[in-house]
Amino acid sequence: MPMPLLAALVGLLCGLSVWLVLDLFQSQALREIFSRELQTRLDQQARETLIRFDNYTEAHVSTARLLANHRSLSNYLEPLYWSERDSTPAMLHYQAPAWLPPATLWRPLARPSHILLIDTWGRPREIHRVSLDALPQELYGGSEQYQFDSRERATLTVLGGRPYLLVSERVEDATGTLMGSLMLVAPVDAAFLRASQQGVAGDGVVVGLLDADEQRFLASSEPEKVARGERMETAHRDYLITSQAFYEYEGAALNLQFATLVPHAAVRAVQASVVDVGRHQLLVSAVTFITVFTLVFSLLSARLNRIMSRISFFSRKALGSEQPMVEGGNQLLALEDWVKQFIRLVRKTREEMRLKYEFEVQESETLKRAIMETSLDSIITIDQDGRIVEINTTAEKVFGYLRHEAIGREFAGLLLDEESAARFPALWAGLRQGRAPADLRTEMTALGVGGKPFPAELAIKPLALHGRSMLTVYLRDITERKRAEQEILCLAKFPAESPSPVLRVNRSGVIIYANASSARLLEYWGCEEGQTLPPYWREQVGHVLGSGKVWEVDVAWGESIFSLLFTPVVDLDYVNIYGRDISAVRHAENQAREHQQELVHVCRLSTMGEMATGLAHELNQPLSAIANYANGCARRLQMDNRDMRDIISALEQINVQADRAGLIIKRLRSLVGKQQPVRTKADINQVVREVCSFVEFEARKLNVVIEQELTLSEMYVRIDVVQIEQVLLNLIRNALDALRDVPEEERDLIVRSGCSDEGRSVAVQVIDTGPGIPAEAMDRLFEPFFTTKSSGMGMGLIISKTIMEDHNGRITVGRWHHGGTTFTMTLPLHEPIRIGLDED
Amino acid sequence: MNNQPTVFVVDDDQAMRNSLKWLIESVGMRVETYGSADEFVSNYYPGRAGCLLLDVRMPGMSGLELQEQFNHRQIRIPIIIITGHGDVPMAVRSMKAGAVDFIEKPFNDELLLESIRNALAQDTEHRSYQAEQAEITARLGQLTPREHEVMEMVTDGKANKEIAQALGVSAKTVEAHRARVMEKMEADSLADLVKMVMAASRR
Repeated sequence: MPMPLLAALVGLLCGLSVWLVLDLFQSQALREIFSRELQTRLDQQARETLIRFDNYTEAHVSTARLLANHRSLSNYLEPLYWSERDSTPAMLHYQAPAWLPPATLWRPLARPSHILLIDTWGRPREIHRVSLDALPQELYGGSEQYQFDSRERATLTVLGGRPYLLVSERVEDATGTLMGSLMLVAPVDAAFLRASQQGVAGDGVVVGLLDADEQRFLASSEPEKVARGERMETAHRDYLITSQAFYEYEGAALNLQFATLVPHAAVRAVQASVVDVGRHQLLVSAVTFITVFTLVFSLLSARLNRIMSRISFFSRKALGSEQPMVEGGNQLLALEDWVKQFIRLVRKTREEMRLKYEFEVQESETLKRAIMETSLDSIITIDQDGRIVEINTTAEKVFGYLRHEAIGREFAGLLLDEESAARFPALWAGLRQGRAPADLRTEMTALGVGGKPFPAELAIKPLALHGRSMLTVYLRDITERKRAEQEILCLAKFPAESPSPVLRVNRSGVIIYANASSARLLEYWGCEEGQTLPPYWREQVGHVLGSGKVWEVDVAWGESIFSLLFTPVVDLDYVNIYGRDISAVRHAENQAREHQQELVHVCRLSTMGEMATGLAHELNQPLSAIANYANGCARRLQMDNRDMRDIISALEQINVQADRAGLIIKRLRSLVGKQQPVRTKADINQVVREVCSFVEFEARKLNVVIEQELTLSEMYVRIDVVQIEQVLLNLIRNALDALRDVPEEERDLIVRSGCSDEGRSVAVQVIDTGPGIPAEAMDRLFEPFFTTKSSGMGMGLIISKTIMEDHNGRITVGRWHHGGTTFTMTLPLHEPIRIGLDED
Repeated sequence: MNNQPTVFVVDDDQAMRNSLKWLIESVGMRVETYGSADEFVSNYYPGRAGCLLLDVRMPGMSGLELQEQFNHRQIRIPIIIITGHGDVPMAVRSMKAGAVDFIEKPFNDELLLESIRNALAQDTEHRSYQAEQAEITARLGQLTPREHEVMEMVTDGKANKEIAQALGVSAKTVEAHRARVMEKMEADSLADLVKMVMAASRR
């Protein structure tokens, strides 16, 4: 029999028995629960119906109060007076009387058959008939029984064999005088009872009013089912009756009860349906049980089958054991045997494998040991308490401890210096919590033989052995490496400490390095370290790298001037730039040159220009004063009030000033002409060179190169060097001024020296290629105050001439054959040269 | 009050000073002479009427420096520059710095005297203008803020009605203010008032 089918069968049987047992107990329980529930439901319903009845009667009380207190009633009553002796029968109204408000106001609330106005003595005075029912005779009579009673407002009573609800309310007229009471008379009939329940009580529930003494119904909401006067036993056949006493409406001697009747048929129907539902649910649960059971069972068996087949496959493949053949008999027993055999096999195989593994481990241990022993690094294994478990021979040598001495000692305390030992626990913790990388490298200071500290690189590798975490520390002495690093660092400091800019630029012009002194230079280039040089400089870097040759260049930036040396490092493809701030040097050079120029200029001014200006100014003063005095005298003389003494003193002043002018002239003459001559022996060529260097700067500005065609040998003359220099300077400057007027390429200035006068004199010629001197000016050149220049004084040449004559020399002017002008100054030689040497 | 203007002569050359004094006094003007700019500065106070004959080239403070100092101190005495031969660039600078004239040595006496007369006239004019302005400022000081407001609007050419609307007062009040402004400013006409306000604002 296949497993699933068997499982289904067993499941079915179980399900059925479960159903049977459950049905037996459950229906019993259900019934009990139902009857209990029914009782409470009935009680509840009875209470509810009574409450509704009470509410309805309360509505009548409210209506009575409304009508009694309505203005129309009090207004109606005001003019009336009811006397005790008056025995006229009550006034009967069929239509709505004036003392009632409109029917719409109160009719929805209550359904009285009559409304009575009763005087204080209990006699009805006015009766309004609302419905067609007759008023019970008892109420006409005015018996004491119905007198006004402030406590009892609503009363249930039986009048003429019928139950009535009587509600009375005291009535006052408009002046507040008590007139009696208003009474609502409502028969408690079927219509009343139905209205009181407002159609809520359904399912054939009937309410009724019961005379408890006689056990008869006085009224019911369904007279055709429970008739008036029917006995309770009769009604019990068809209904479940719950009766409750009235407390609110205490009638006279009547024992009235309120009854709620629920039909038996309705209860039974509900009971049947409840049992049905119970059965149905039982069925459903039984079926579910069967299905689930069967399903689980079959799934389990299928799973078991699969495991079995796996095991057999594995045993066939791995252990070579055959699956036991199950040939009938008890399948499970056969399986058990087979499993036993299987376990045995597995044990045997495991033993074999362990042996093999142990052999391999031994082999690898030996290998590892060999590696450990021969390793150049110290290898130290530490347990989780930081104690040394194993060290290799290198470590023994390095640290100077034998293996048995080291084992068990604390690693950090024994082998590291204090600072490193303090760091070690943190490292350890980091490794254990997985914060540090699994393969940690760090540098520490270790203590070698005799406690000598040395820098060491530590590679720390955590490992787990027999569930304990351990560390293997590979420790290498890096003293040598450190020293090398230190040296490189020191070397690298060279450029950084250099006071001159040192930069390194790669082929694409990116500044790889710039030392602190390069700031000014970087500012000039407008870039920073790591940025690219401006295009021009990039190009130059390319050139330098291309040519492989150094390149030197000067750069001016503001006040600073740098000399830059570009040195290519072709192998590494970059260029080193060594800068030198030569601002100071250049500045000094320039300043020296300017200073010299200034000196020359001042020299010239102070001698010629200044002299002329000074002369003019000096003379101007006395001349002006003379003019002023003379004019003042003239004006005074023209006027009448002349004072001769004044005039005379003015004339004396004129005389004084005239003397002063004469003195000035005299002084000037002595200054220029009659000075004691200073004479020294000098080489005229040297003088020429000196003067040329004075004007070199000026000449260069005009783009003129002064050609010096000087004799090879020295030519000594006895001269006042300063004066002769001034003359020469004057001539050269004149020549330069002349050259301003011609285009740059035609500007030539030659200073030539040579012998003349048959070797007795030396002649210095200053030749320019300027526009030349016009013929008419030529004759006047040496006249005082003659000048061709807009800014000239006309004094230079005449002074020059005076100086030359003082030196027994002369100065002449001529036209040069190429155009332009030649000035020649001739001076006697100190030692005449033999005629034979003269070329002329 | 000493109202006669003085010609101040500043020259380092004594003969020059004396001869100039002689010449200028011959036409009946008052002359004071000083040997240096410093001497002049320490003796002169801005209220004095007159003009200044200044030699540009002097030891110590030069004529130009004196001129700059006066400009800086807002002293507006008219200055005539005397220059010797070759001092033309300096004279030009002086003229640019506000000198009224420059005269080259040796002098043409007619030109010099003419120049002095012009300078004195200019000084007188300037002084009276200054006095007038001071007067106007004083009058303006008498105005109440509201009157000042009204006056500004009146001189802006606004009608009384406009002013009243702008200030939120009645036209009659504006008229009253206006009358008081005219009275306090001693203006004969609106044109007069406008002229005064313009003169005051030019300062």
